[in-house]
Parts: sequence; structure tokens; C-alpha cells
Amino acid sequence: MGREKEKQNPSEKALNLLRTRLSNPNFIFKPLSDSPDSNYSKLKFIISSSVTEACNNSILLLGPRGSGKVAVLELVLGDLLQQYPEVISVIRLNGLLHSDDNCALKEIAQQLCVEHQLLFSKVASFDDNSQFMIAMLRECGLAHKTIIFVLNEFDYFAQGKQRLLYSLLDAMQSVTSQAVVIGVSCRLDVDQLLEKRVRSRFSHRKLLFLPPSKEDTERFMEHILSLPVDSSLPHNYTVEFNARLKKILSDERFKELINTYLSFNSTIGHLVRFLFQAVSYLDLDVGFLSLENFKTALSSMQRQPKLECIREYKSIHDSFQTSDYYARNVCLRAFEHLLQHQLISFADNRGHNQSVEFRPVKLLISLAELHQGLKSYRLCPMFYLDLIKIGFWILPLVQACKLHKIPAFDSFLVCYVNYYCCGASFLPLKMVKVAFSRQLS
Amino acid sequence: MAKEEGLQVTRRTTRYSASNNAVEPTKPTEFYKPTLNDLGFRQQPLGFEDLLSCFPGRSTQVLELLRLLGPLNSPMFPVLVYGGPSTGKTSVTLQVFRHLNRPFVYSSCVTCYNPRILFESILNQLWFHRKNSGHSYSSVKRCERPSDFVNYLREASESVIDNLKGNSGKLSSKLSGQPNGTMVYLVFDNLERVRDWDKSSTILPFLFNLCDILKMPEVGLIFISSTSPDTYYLNIGYLEPIPLYFPDYTEDDLRQIFMANQVNRKLYTSFLDVVLRPFCRVTRRIDELSAAFSSLFKKYSEPLSDMEVAPNEDMKRRLFTHLRPHITTALNETFQVRSQPLLKAETNQETKKKNSSRMSGIREDFDKMDFHMSTSAKYLLISAFLASRNPATLDASLFDSTGVSDSRKRKRKASEKSMEQKKMAEQELLMKGPGTFPLERLLAIFQCITSLAEDSLDEEGSDELTIEGGSGGLMSDVLLQLSSLCNANFIIKGGSCPLEGSTRYRTAVSEDLALKVARSLKFPLSKYLYRR
Repeated sequence: MGREKEKQNPSEKALNLLRTRLSNPNFIFKPLSDSPDSNYSKLKFIISSSVTEACNNSILLLGPRGSGKVAVLELVLGDLLQQYPEVISVIRLNGLLHSDDNCALKEIAQQLCVEHQLLFSKVASFDDNSQFMIAMLRECGLAHKTIIFVLNEFDYFAQGKQRLLYSLLDAMQSVTSQAVVIGVSCRLDVDQLLEKRVRSRFSHRKLLFLPPSKEDTERFMEHILSLPVDSSLPHNYTVEFNARLKKILSDERFKELINTYLSFNSTIGHLVRFLFQAVSYLDLDVGFLSLENFKTALSSMQRQPKLECIREYKSIHDSFQTSDYYARNVCLRAFEHLLQHQLISFADNRGHNQSVEFRPVKLLISLAELHQGLKSYRLCPMFYLDLIKIGFWILPLVQACKLHKIPAFDSFLVCYVNYYCCGASFLPLKMVKVAFSRQLS
Repeated sequence: MAKEEGLQVTRRTTRYSASNNAVEPTKPTEFYKPTLNDLGFRQQPLGFEDLLSCFPGRSTQVLELLRLLGPLNSPMFPVLVYGGPSTGKTSVTLQVFRHLNRPFVYSSCVTCYNPRILFESILNQLWFHRKNSGHSYSSVKRCERPSDFVNYLREASESVIDNLKGNSGKLSSKLSGQPNGTMVYLVFDNLERVRDWDKSSTILPFLFNLCDILKMPEVGLIFISSTSPDTYYLNIGYLEPIPLYFPDYTEDDLRQIFMANQVNRKLYTSFLDVVLRPFCRVTRRIDELSAAFSSLFKKYSEPLSDMEVAPNEDMKRRLFTHLRPHITTALNETFQVRSQPLLKAETNQETKKKNSSRMSGIREDFDKMDFHMSTSAKYLLISAFLASRNPATLDASLFDSTGVSDSRKRKRKASEKSMEQKKMAEQELLMKGPGTFPLERLLAIFQCITSLAEDSLDEEGSDELTIEGGSGGLMSDVLLQLSSLCNANFIIKGGSCPLEGSTRYRTAVSEDLALKVARSLKFPLSKYLYRR
């Protein structure tokens, strides 16, 4: 194993290094946090001041997903734990896991026990746990130790009765305690969700995490993708790699690429994901990143899944060819395929009271998407496209699946179109028969 | 298709034999204890060329998956593999892991149909625990809530990774077939099923955020789904996994796939030339196509005495004409599971001489009912169908006491407009589907019909209908039959009428089935149906 490692291609090592970096949130957010007015410094100041001044505090970290709230928080906590080793203990809760109050208190009690080397009993009841928590708060307050509560996915805690939040914030006010409550959430209006009594006990401090500016983004990309010169990689390889990287980053096409991507998803998290994909396309033989890698990554991210399904949809409802009569169960099966692809869905939620034929369905894609999808399908006969140009729903074609033995399809379609123009979004399946019968009469 | 941990043969005492006193209890055999090697694919490793040739038409996807997984021991972002059903997602993923020989844990959301089973299955695999009768099929830890799962998963993954790290230094590990690397991958298959679970609003965001919650770069996540990523959009949002799309197969790919294991390639090529194009218009799914093709191919090669022969043009033409009438029927039957074997249809064919009668011969089988129902049940079904189909106002005219079905009362000649309106009303009624009816109406129609039937049968002098004795005895029998029809989903209990508060019923049988039933009773159903 050792021998094989030395023989490892430098490009493979570089790939490994880059991938590790991109998956490690601490590394990503450190450079962005260096400036004095960044969220990192503000957060650090708030927490350390409440530690040193022995007071209670609460703060909310808000921002879209991927903006680095938890990563920055972890950096701050890491630094503080080094600065004040015995004084701080951290309790971490996650709304996805612990939104139930019982569960949350149990988790708090468990983590407190682990921190202070106490034995935790699994059969402790809710009241026991809450009393334990309050007692611990008091003790730590008297001993001048701070407990930091990190509540991830804070909006989940704000559902329901908010018992946990209330008891926590109340304990902080009434008992001699030193605690900091940090809530992290993606919803920017999460403090509106709090009950009145909870909100009054909450200090309305909020830190907004916004996507970085363009220059910052560029600097960040360069920093994160450049290989370090003093690592175990061969020196000239590193230099060449970084030089090529610089050339790509300053290329106009690359800037355009990045701008397109960032216009949908501007957070750092998304950018990192994109870079990860681009890096994974690194051709090991060539050993250097190229513009093509980024282009491929962008195209794979931008895929529109429904459009791909529409090709399938088209191939399914090709069963209207005038020369073929398709039996009922074929059409029923085609209908089920469409359901599976989620191009249509049932409009009523009652479910299973009625057989499939009679439940209203609605089309889940817009007309424009349908048009685009059908256009991209090579074998689509021009007739369908013309029909769409008139602006009528193609949904009737789906429902005509239910009718077996359709002769004279074209005349049928024209007359259907006359009958139900610009239609309803609800169309029970058998409605097509109406148009058909009109045609016959 | 799902391979959890490779193939093992376990001898275990079944519960029956253990509890059966007549058989002396055998000594509990050694239960198989899974080890670290079971996390890898236990079969022979697959070379890269073999991997690509296994999956024609999928080389781009295989390469992309390999790239996203990356070299050994490099962390990865979660990946979502999606595509239509039976496009090879699961098999490609598993074979890629076989090729790379890395440890992975596979769980399918079809077999693990609620969160608890899913969590416990993953933990069992990570802790090398197999459910056996030794500890009455229990899992290694009881785990219902996501919070417990995260804690246990962390523990288990750490222990597995320590194991892997410890062994990776030794040379002997390579020889003993141990999987490579120090990362563990979790594969979640059939993720679209999670959307239908009760707790899907908490479980789905939990699964997608598992990467962030767990904060272990040595654990990689792969999700496989047959619906596209935008069906998973959730309120709270999450950092989406990297998508990997498996498009449907093109016709050429399908041809390659079907040709793959054929003995007589030329014969099969000519067969495919004939059938592939029409079938592809109906469906592109391999499972449906292969079912249809296997039976058709047997038919196709019927007239050939020698299966090894390579057909020339003349033979091809003959075979084609032999096969052609069957193609259309097979097309229409593509998705139907035949209750009667194809042989019966063939015997019908032999007795009839012309092509057209051959077709009708097949159809005749379908005119008969496939299952048995008692006569009173059949009548009940017909009355239910009529009750659902006809509006209640027509009952008086259709079922009057003289048994005259067609109303011959003279109507005023209606104007064009009112005829139009009537037609519209009829069509609206048809479109809404079968209507609801109360129990009393059903019983009234039933009595009318059976009294008619008794009259007609009395005329013929048959005494089959001895069941319908006195009308008193009829009632209790009918209610029993009604409940069994409800259980068989022929009649559905609909909503209750707000005024009366009694439950209403609705028929769920199609017109074809009702006609079949009526035909078996020789009941003139069409006369009673309200048609436009």
C-alpha cells in the first residue's frame, strides 16, 4: 500500500486534495471570514463578550441555504473553545431531529451529561429532564461557566407550542445562568413565527448571511482551487496548475459561465457544489483543469428533468397514429407512465373512491415547457407542433388514450379543439368522448 | 435484483421445526456472522471493460458515476441518480461498486417501507448483524427516530472506518478480498417511495440533509430514484444532491440489449427488425418489452424446424407473414397478464380456418368471464351497474311492472334546442363517472330484474334458479352478497347523502365486465342502459 501511494499520479493527488477541500466547510469559509466586519468577527465578538461579562444572550443567524451559517459558527466556536477551554460547553440541537420537545430535552440532558461526565439515565421523564436542565444552568451560572445552545433549523423549533424555547429562554431570565442561545435558520422571517411570550424574552439580534460580492467570489474561487505550493505535490506541477487556473479564471467565457450559474444559485454552497462537479471532471491524463470541465458541469446542472420526460411522453402518445388502434389497457398503461413521470397528477385527494378512469387530472407542466419538449423530440410530427402553436392544450391527447379505436384522428382533434378551447385545468378522462361524439353527429 | 451482501447459504432452524415436538430439536447450527468483507460486493471484481460492455448505451452514465465517486478515499457530495423505471440505475450503481470494490450499504425503500425498518436495516449492515432465529429476528438496536439514527450511525460508521483503516495497512487484506478504501457509501434505492410515507415531510429533508447533519466526510451518500429531482422540492429547502440522469434507451440500445444473449443471432435480428419498431411506439421499458418478445419469439420460430438456421430473405418473408396477425394482438396485450395461457388461443385457431375467425377466436375467450360468481351475485352486480349508470328518474319508466323495457309512450316532439341540451346533460352525466345510489334503490332494481328473470325462466321451464325462493329469504342473502361484492371492489361505498345520512354506493365495474356478466345470464342489459 505504501509503495502504491508514492506512485500515485500527482494529478490524482491534486484531485483528492481539491475534492477534500471542497467538501470541508471549514476550509471554504475561513478566507471569507477574515475581514473585520464579516459575520465571523461580529459573532465572535458577541459570544466572547457574553462569556467574559457573564451575561445571557440570544442571537439568530439567518440566510439562504449554503451561505455558511453553520460553518462560520463552527469556526467561531472552535476559536473560542481554544481561547477559554474550561469555561464553555456547547449543546447542539437540530430541528429536523429534535423538534419534538421530549426528544429535545432528552438530547440536551444527554449532551450535558456527556460534557460534565455525569451518568445519563434513559428512562428519565420529561419533567426530570427539564428540572435537570434548569439545575445545570443554575450550577453553571454560579460557577461562571457558559453554556452555548446551538439550535439548527430553528424554524422547526418554532412549530407547535414552542415549549422548549419558552422554557429555555425563561430559565435564562429567571435563574442565575450564563447561557447563549444561537438559532440558525433559512427562513428570514423566523422571528415572526415566535409566540409573543417567547419573542419578548428573545433579544432581537440577527445576523444576516448574504452571498458575497463578485470580487469576493472571484478571489474565493482562486483561493480554493489553487494548489498549495508547499504540499507534497511536485513543485513544477503545482506551478503549472496554478498558472493554467489563473488563465481560466480570467477568461471571458468562464466569467460568463459563472455569471449564468450564479444568477440561479448565488450562495457559496451552490458554487462549491458546482466547483466540485467541475473538479470531478478533471481528466486524470491531462492533469489540469480546463474550461471544458466547467462547461460540462454547468450543462449537467442545468438539465431540466421534465423536458426529458416529455420526450417519453411524446413517444407514449404517439399511439394515436391513424393506422393503429390501441387497446384500452395499452392506453391505461401509458397513462400510468405519465403519472409516474409526474407530468400529470390527480387533482382530487380523495384517492381511491373511484376507478382511475374517472378521476380528474391536471397537467403539471406548462404549455411552454410542453412545446419546448416536443420540439426537441426529433420524431415529432409537425402536426402536433402546429397544434401547440394555436395554443391549445395537448392534454386532450392524453385523455384520448382512454378511448379505444380512434379512427379519423385528425378530424377528431380539430373538433375537440373547437369544443374545448384554452381549457380548464381539470378534465375528467371521459370528456374526450364528448368531442368525439360531436364529431360523429 | 437487489444484492445486499453477496451470496451466502445459511442453514438455520426454522421456527416450525424448532417448535415441532415430533422432530427432535436439532442443535442450533452456526449462524453466519457477517464480517467486514460483506460490505463489499462479494463476487468477483469486474474489470472496467466488462463494466462498460455489461451496459450497452450506458457508458456516459457509468463514466460520470465513476467520476463523481472519485478516486479512493476522496470525499464526495451526495449524488441523486434518477431516470425512468427499468433504465438500469440500480444495476449500474451496484456493478460500479463491484468494479471499484469499495464498501457500501444498500437499502431499498420498497422493502424498508417505514423509517424504522430503513434505519434498522442500515444499522444492521454496518454492525455486521444478521437477523436470525437465534435472537428471534431482532435488529441490533431499536431505532425509530432520526435523532437516534444519527447517533447510532455515527458510532457504527466510525467503528467500520476504524476497522477499514486498521486493515488497510496490511498487505494480506488485498488477498482476502477485502473492500478498498476507508470510506463507506450508503445507497438508498427507490427514494420516490418515501414521498408516500406518513412521515415523509420530516424524513425526506432529513435524508437529504444527512450529509450536513452527520458531518463525516468518510460517509458518502447515493440516492436512486425513478422520479426527477423536482418532485422532491420541499418547503425548507436543502442543498440538492448532484443529479445524474439515466435517459431511456434508444432503439439501437434496445436492439443491442436484446441481442446480447441470443443463441441464433441472425434469426433474432430478423425477428427484431419486425417487432421492435411497432412495440417501441408503445413502450420503451425493457421489462415490458422482454415479456412481450419472449412469447412472440416462440411464435415466430414455430414454423422453423431447425433453430440454428440463418434465415434468408424468402424465409424471413414467410416468418413475417406467419407472425403478423399476432403482433397486433400482442401489442394490445402488452401490459396484460394473461390469465389463460396462449396455448388455448392456439387451439382455437386450429379449429377455425380463416384469418378473421382466428382473431375472433381469441376474442371469444375474453367474452367469457374469468371467475365464478353465484347467480344472485351476478344479478346484484348488474343492478348495481344499472343503478350507477342510469339517473334515478328513469327507473320508473325502465322497470315498470309490466316488464316492458322500452318506453313506448309517445313523447312530444322535442325542439332542436332541448334535444341539444338533453344530449349535453347526458354527456355530462357520462363524464362524471358512475353515480352513487342508496341501498334501497339497488334492492328495488334487483327485485325488478329478478322477478323478470324468474318470469322468463318459468316460461322456459328451467328450474335452475331455486335460490331465489321466497322474497323473504332473498333479502338476507342479498345483503351478504352485497358485502362480498364490496370487498371485491366491484361496489364502492361512496359518501353519505347529507340529507338522509345513509351510505351510498357506487359501481366500480366497467361496461365490458357488466356486459360479460349479463351475457352469461342471458340478460338484455343494453335495453336498460341509458344511452345517448
